[in-house]
Amino acid sequence: MKARALRLSAVAGAWLVAAYSFAAEPAPGQLLYNRHCLACHQADGGGVPNMQPAIAGGSWVKGDARALALFVMSGGFDSASRKESDVGNVMPPFRQLADDELAAILTFIRQKFGDGGSPVSAADVSAARESDPGR
Amino acid sequence: MRKSWHARIFTRVVSTAGAGCALASMALVGTAVAADHGLTLPAGFSSVVLHEGQGTARHIDVAPNGDIYIAGRNGLSAMRDTNSDGKPEMVSTFGDVKGTEVRVFRNWLYVSDDVGVYRYALTKGQLVPGGARETVVGDFPRERQHSDKTFALDPKGTLYINVGAPSNSCQQKDRQEGSLGQNPCPILENYGGVWVFDGTKLNQTPANGRRFATGIRNAVAVEWNGKQNALYAVIHGRDSIDTLFPALYSAEDNATRQAEEFHRITDGGDYGWPYTFFDTKLGKRVLAPEYGGDAKKEPEVGKYPDPLVAFPAHWAPNDLLFYEGKSFPEKYRDGAFIAFHGSWNRAPEPQAGYKVVFQPMKDGKPNGAYEVFADGFAGDMKDNSPRNAQYRPVGLAVSPDGSLLVTDSQKGRVWRISYRGK
Repeated sequence: MKARALRLSAVAGAWLVAAYSFAAEPAPGQLLYNRHCLACHQADGGGVPNMQPAIAGGSWVKGDARALALFVMSGGFDSASRKESDVGNVMPPFRQLADDELAAILTFIRQKFGDGGSPVSAADVSAARESDPGR
Repeated sequence: MRKSWHARIFTRVVSTAGAGCALASMALVGTAVAADHGLTLPAGFSSVVLHEGQGTARHIDVAPNGDIYIAGRNGLSAMRDTNSDGKPEMVSTFGDVKGTEVRVFRNWLYVSDDVGVYRYALTKGQLVPGGARETVVGDFPRERQHSDKTFALDPKGTLYINVGAPSNSCQQKDRQEGSLGQNPCPILENYGGVWVFDGTKLNQTPANGRRFATGIRNAVAVEWNGKQNALYAVIHGRDSIDTLFPALYSAEDNATRQAEEFHRITDGGDYGWPYTFFDTKLGKRVLAPEYGGDAKKEPEVGKYPDPLVAFPAHWAPNDLLFYEGKSFPEKYRDGAFIAFHGSWNRAPEPQAGYKVVFQPMKDGKPNGAYEVFADGFAGDMKDNSPRNAQYRPVGLAVSPDGSLLVTDSQKGRVWRISYRGK
């Protein structure tokens, strides 16, 4: 009886996992991206010509995790590369987001728009925050 | 020609194909595109593609002889139909101005970029201006947002320049969640309005101008109405009420509530930016959330005018034209065509706009509801991204034969829309 109950539990558990997956509930990073980033950078990370730059294909998203965290945290206002670009709008800072929220967003964009890049941890974000001159 | 008075006061007569100047790259090209135009139009209208490939085309104007001038982020271009088949055989790029506005005025071609308004002398017989570029007003500060110095000219040569605000809503920290508005908004001292200059004088600076109207976030579509002897504009409304104030507004609210406002612009007028916006859901003007708004609180009664028409949020009105041609049916006479570039800030909701709208007008006021005149520009728009729009309408002009010309900023396509009868 015990073995059967275990088998049933395993089946139910697998079903629950499958149901969770098939419910298409986006990952936390995607939900946060949708709320904070999507309007400007769009669902495909391609940005809007002359308005907001693309994330996809860019060097930031594929580069050093802490540098990426610092860039998003401090916004585009002070970035030398932004001053030379053609896009009109400048990214506001996102210091108000918690370490784990930023880490989830950055992990999501690296996976989706950065050729499946490595995850960004809350510790990476925390370390970046230590070097943020605007904190 | 944008306005019928162009024809009255533009006295030059062009009789022969002109030679290019040193700045021009002249080419006789066969790039006119055949029937593949794909626009949906009212019954009795049809379109042909005049040309494609001049880069990011913006505004357009037509000289009385039919020569077409187009401004764009890639530069200026000129086109002429040399064999009267309705399509330009001669296409030239010229000059060094990359921007949005272009207007034929008297015997000059007025153009602008982000920091100034300039003019080239038009020479009888020549498609491409032969002379040097003159600065009418220069030295506007170089800004990142809303920097196109679009303009209109009245028959006396008064120059009305749209000086867009380099800001979304004059927050203490632009586009940052929860940041409150600067009060009073210091940006309004030098931006966020229409400034007037003497359009016949050269080498002016912003200090030579007078603020004509304020509270205008960005009026890319600004136009002189000759019959009403008045300035009109369709204004780009604000962005991001949801991401900046998520406790007050949802993504659906942001996608739908902030009108693109159509106004008659009067001397001394204040149109409410950044303190207010016109809420299409409530049908009234409300205080902006940066300035004490709670999604329903209204400003002081009568302080700011309601728009003549409140167009849907984020459609991006980029050109306005009062139809004074003769070949369209009577209902179009003196009405307003508006080119909407299409939204980006509706995401994650479906993007919208990307069409040319007709607003019937009588005695300078709306006369009935607006209608979609030309649609089908955007195509499938993969991933709901403006980048993937097939075409995005930007500029409007009327040819001497009364047909409407429309430009596109994705591929530099130019359509001619004509009325053929039922």
